[in-house]
Amino acid sequence: MGNNVLGTPIVKGLGFNSFGIGTNACSVDIDEENDKILRIRPLRFDEHYTPEDLNAWKLEARGKTFEPGFKTLISPLSLCYKKRVYSKNRIPYPMKRVDWDPEGERNPQNRGTSGYVRISWDEACSLIASEIKRVHEAYGPASILCELDGHGETKFVHAPHGCQSRMFDLIGSYTLQTRQPDSWEGWYWGAKHMWGMDPLGQNSQMNNVIRDVAQNGDAVLFWGCDVETTPLGWGGYLASRLCYWFTELGIKQIHISPDVNYTNAVHADKWIPVKPNTDAALQLAIAYTWIKEGTYDQAYLDTHAVGFENFKYYVMGGEDGVPKTPKWAEAICGVPSYTIKAFARYWAKHAVSIAHCNGGSYIRSCYAHEPARLEVALLGMQGLGKPGANQFKFIEWTLYGMDTVTPLPPSVEIPDCSPAYRGWYRSFPKSFIPKTMIPEAIMNPPVSWYGHIGAGFPREDQFDGPYTFPLEGNERLHMIWSDTPCWETCWNGGNEMQEALRHPSIEFIVVQHPWMENDCFFADVILPTNTKFETEDIGTDSDNGQWNLVYYERQAIKPRLESKSDMEAVGEVARALEKFGGIYENLYERYMGGKTCEEYIQAGFENTGAAKKMDFEEFKEKQYYPFPTREGWEEMPAGLIQFYEDPEGHPLQTPSGKLEYYSTTLASQFPDDKERGPIPHWVDEGAGHQERQYLERGRKYPFLLVSNHPRWRVHANLDDVTWFREMEETCKVTGPDGYKYEPVWVHPSDAGLLGLETGDIVKLHNERGAVLGGVRVTERIMPSVVYQDHGSRVDSVVLGRGGLDRGGANNLIAPYATTSTHAFGEVTSGFLVNIEKVDVLALAEQ
Amino acid sequence: MGKVFVFDIAKCNGCRNCQIACKDEHVDNDWSPIARPQPDTGHFWCRIEERVRGQVPKVRVSYVMHRCQHCADAPCMAAAPDAVYRREDGLVIVDPEKAAGRRDLVEACPYGAIFWNGELGIPQKCTGCAHLVDAGEVPHCVDVCPHGALRFGDEEDLAEEIAAAEALVPERAAADKPRVFYLNLPKRFLAGVVVDPEADEVVAGARVTAENLATGEVLAAEADEFGDFWFHQVGAAEWRVYAEAEGYLTRVLEASTVDEDRNMGPVELYRAE
Ligand SMILES: Nc1nc2c(c(=O)[nH]1)N[C@H]1C(S)=C(S)[C@@H](COP(=O)(O)OP(=O)(O)OC[C@H]3O[C@@H](n4cnc5c(=O)[nH]c(N)nc54)[C@H](O)[C@@H]3O)O[C@H]1N2
Ligand SMILES: Nc1nc2c(c(=O)[nH]1)N[C@H]1C(S)=C(S)[C@@H](COP(=O)(O)OP(=O)(O)OC[C@H]3O[C@@H](n4cnc5c(=O)[nH]c(N)nc54)[C@H](O)[C@@H]3O)O[C@H]1N2
Ligand code: SF4
Ligand code: SF4
Ligand code: SF4
Ligand SMILES: [Ca+2]
Ligand SMILES: [Ca+2]
Ligand SMILES: [Mo+4]
Repeated sequence: MGNNVLGTPIVKGLGFNSFGIGTNACSVDIDEENDKILRIRPLRFDEHYTPEDLNAWKLEARGKTFEPGFKTLISPLSLCYKKRVYSKNRIPYPMKRVDWDPEGERNPQNRGTSGYVRISWDEACSLIASEIKRVHEAYGPASILCELDGHGETKFVHAPHGCQSRMFDLIGSYTLQTRQPDSWEGWYWGAKHMWGMDPLGQNSQMNNVIRDVAQNGDAVLFWGCDVETTPLGWGGYLASRLCYWFTELGIKQIHISPDVNYTNAVHADKWIPVKPNTDAALQLAIAYTWIKEGTYDQAYLDTHAVGFENFKYYVMGGEDGVPKTPKWAEAICGVPSYTIKAFARYWAKHAVSIAHCNGGSYIRSCYAHEPARLEVALLGMQGLGKPGANQFKFIEWTLYGMDTVTPLPPSVEIPDCSPAYRGWYRSFPKSFIPKTMIPEAIMNPPVSWYGHIGAGFPREDQFDGPYTFPLEGNERLHMIWSDTPCWETCWNGGNEMQEALRHPSIEFIVVQHPWMENDCFFADVILPTNTKFETEDIGTDSDNGQWNLVYYERQAIKPRLESKSDMEAVGEVARALEKFGGIYENLYERYMGGKTCEEYIQAGFENTGAAKKMDFEEFKEKQYYPFPTREGWEEMPAGLIQFYEDPEGHPLQTPSGKLEYYSTTLASQFPDDKERGPIPHWVDEGAGHQERQYLERGRKYPFLLVSNHPRWRVHANLDDVTWFREMEETCKVTGPDGYKYEPVWVHPSDAGLLGLETGDIVKLHNERGAVLGGVRVTERIMPSVVYQDHGSRVDSVVLGRGGLDRGGANNLIAPYATTSTHAFGEVTSGFLVNIEKVDVLALAEQ
Repeated sequence: MGKVFVFDIAKCNGCRNCQIACKDEHVDNDWSPIARPQPDTGHFWCRIEERVRGQVPKVRVSYVMHRCQHCADAPCMAAAPDAVYRREDGLVIVDPEKAAGRRDLVEACPYGAIFWNGELGIPQKCTGCAHLVDAGEVPHCVDVCPHGALRFGDEEDLAEEIAAAEALVPERAAADKPRVFYLNLPKRFLAGVVVDPEADEVVAGARVTAENLATGEVLAAEADEFGDFWFHQVGAAEWRVYAEAEGYLTRVLEASTVDEDRNMGPVELYRAE
């Protein structure tokens, strides 16, 4: 054993939010002598600082106290990370596709099926450089698409995404794949029009809401909210601890979702199962009950809202002759009407808040804007902002650096190390394409849409346009550079994307990535990049809910195999381009921006208040600095109490400053939009979607699929962790062929009808294709609904539309169309499938 | 005296931090002479079992930890006194050198806590992270538990918890004297919702009594604002359930929690006339 049991402690942020935002600060013990990582531990705030230094906060309510504790509350997704560093999927060296010949046949049709040969870094970079030069000359710079968004490791200097955009900005731009507000689709496209709340559409006035709930709340509705899953990659277990505290305080936790998610499993006092993406019907029936029984707050609406009469008219059936009764809703959403009425009455009688992480397929399905704004409509009807009645979140507690989105006692500072960040920095080229429309833009240009399509744009941006790709005078796309090779398993309709990636117009695809996964298999040249354990960097953690931190990330081990960091990899290409002179002259130095890595780290540090407390040397020695709790936090108004008390003095960011049950902007901008009209509606179907069980397609594909954010992954990350994969009860299902299938939850009543048992392998399918999964018969899912997490590693047997995938990457068969006609979001859950048992041994023989 | 573990089901969210921490600590790390490296997969020195209980829409999940119980009268020691030893602090260690080749030890543990390492040819199990304890630290699995559901410490400091605790396998407790103490081990629940189908309403405030047909024990509950009633932590038994409410005919139903927790679903009450 030797004497090195404890090793040398260093700090690493092991969250997955990326974009130069860090979280999940961990202490990592390394064995320097043997170039090895020993273990991953919680980071102790009190190693170098006292509770007084931290100005330690606590919450008090109903005679009970909540304290945040002095170590970070890390999750298994951090603890497992050695398995990612040493994964057998690590890309060992630069590679070239065997049948891609830039001088001859490029064989785009073989992408996804052909093999690779090892090449040197020099050869790889010179191939990439020549292709860039060729595309520039033949088609112009906008024919190069950069896919540079994506979550993942939280590096600053060695940024995981967007380093190539820094280089392209210096040599004549590129076309940007802009990422729609995927996490917040419904809030962004819907709720904003009712209550403003830029930039994302969820409540952005959350200060002190947790204390408000603790002191004044009777119940919290977990409306599509899994605190035991989604804070894992995004902050840790403080949120989970809050649920235990709410239980101790006697606050009723009501879960509304199709599945018993991991929070419901241990914390719920009540579960109301609702069919996926039918919440809008349930919400309308609640509004109906309140209106019918006179149990909503009309006086509040008189002063805080506009257009309520129009909404009421619709709810009561004036507009379409269909009163939105509980019986009407029951047939759609599966909740018994007696429960809907009891629920409506309970809500009207008590102080009720709604909790989310981001909302799940409640806000990530077709017409997601409707349930999102209906939630605001309901909150308004019960006096939104009054004590105990707010909307709040269990994740992203400092999103966009906003200090108003922190529902817990805030730290004095949200550290910002942006001067260290070398990834994409929101430089917006003229040519861009919404991520949801990429396959179409590749195969069928031109495409057009409204808005810049990016989380963070203000409400008005949705009306800006139309924009088109390609821009006038420009060519279509001919080259793709991706550092985010998981489109297939993360976006809407991956099978269509597989066809786009094999399209003859795409002459060259380069991917840089640490692991051989997903879209990597469509690349012509692959650059092996590395993990944060292999580099020196700086990090922040402002989402743990305890105290914000800035930390120095020492290099833990030498770069593995032939890898370089993402930033270095792009640098190598910049160097290779220099030989062409002209616009490429001196490119490497320009790309590096005149600083060394160490200097960037220092610049990041100096941009934070930590620099006022210590010099850079001391920072590197202590390795972290926590920002103490802000003085006077107790006095900050809770949630929307100011709007509640004085709507004129504290207006919302809507045109009228009030809750807009009738949106005049939607009415005037898109007067003919039946899918997103001025008043929130129940939308059966539209031009792009028919995903209802009771309509025509529902007969052929009678099950609604729930595709949540995975508990044992973060999207496409971590699918290969053997320590999770061996958890047969929860992570994967081993088939008769030994293959680890992605679980599919089926209710016993459906399993009985379909003749399915736990361990069987099934095919989930619709017109867009099929994916396999391993059955788990369970009471954790409601009848007529099936559940399979999102983000499983693609393992296609048949590529393209109508294809077959073994990995259970159900995004491959998600709808191609966007949220609705004028809302360009993704539809990745709550869609129709059928399910059928397959004999994998027989299938393998075919 | 000495070290013990306490595991409280009521505080466990099933996160598996403990299970993964054990891998993190022991896979690819050699802590000889206490432990040789654990294989990458197949060993569960600490394992969380997931129990899904009840039926839609009354479903709960309980998580139960399985691990070496560091028995005070350890059957594994009895089977191989020369290869398994107990430290002064009570932690039971399978000596990686002396136990080489002793595959029989896997069978010797009644808790399934010993695993065979085929590559090294040794039986292996939880060491209580004795290497860390000796360095003044707590076991890795304990350090990472976010809720204090898993605790480790001196027997005297945890006396209160120990007094309230049960054994994972009660039948074996007297013989083995396990030193992992369990709080709030899941029993059964019996639940349902009282409704008036004619009015299409729940019957809030309905009185529900459950009679254990074997013991005659009678439990009482009231339907809440959702019409729901719950009897938590009851035994595995046959029950007769009575639902009553002002103006309604009393309803009597049978229900069983013998094999599993029971959601009786809607209990329908009809008006007296
Ligand atoms: N079915 C379904 N689909 C969904 C959703 C859903 O609810 N259901 N949710 C949607 C939401 S909210 C989101 S945010 C998206 C997530 O979609 P993405 O953000 O695209 O997903 P990630 O897998 O987190 O990250 C992108 C890629 O970055 C890689 N990566 C990680 N670290 C590094 C690095 O250091 N360098 C490089 N070069 N690459 C790295 C990962 O391996 C992965 O391939 O998915 C969406 N898709
Ligand atoms: N472990 C882990 N953590 C993550 C991520 C991850 O991939 N893995 N991703 C991160 C990202 S980018 C984001 S955006 C957030 C996402 O955070 P969320 O959007 O909150 O997460 P989801 O898993 O999509 O959905 C949450 C819950 O919604 C419920 N639900 C699903 N469909 C419906 C429906 O139709 N109606 C109702 N009422 N409920 C429904 C399910 O119970 C599900 O557990 O999480 C972040 N954190
Ligand atoms: S649980 Fe098994 S391995 Fe552990 S001490 Fe008891 S008998 Fe030995
Ligand atoms: S005490 Fe150590 S060896 Fe035992 S289960 Fe915990 S981490 Fe594993
Ligand atoms: S770490 Fe703690 S809370 Fe998590 S599974 Fe283990 S005992 Fe339960
Ligand atoms: Ca009220
Ligand atoms: Ca499309
Ligand atoms: Mo997201």
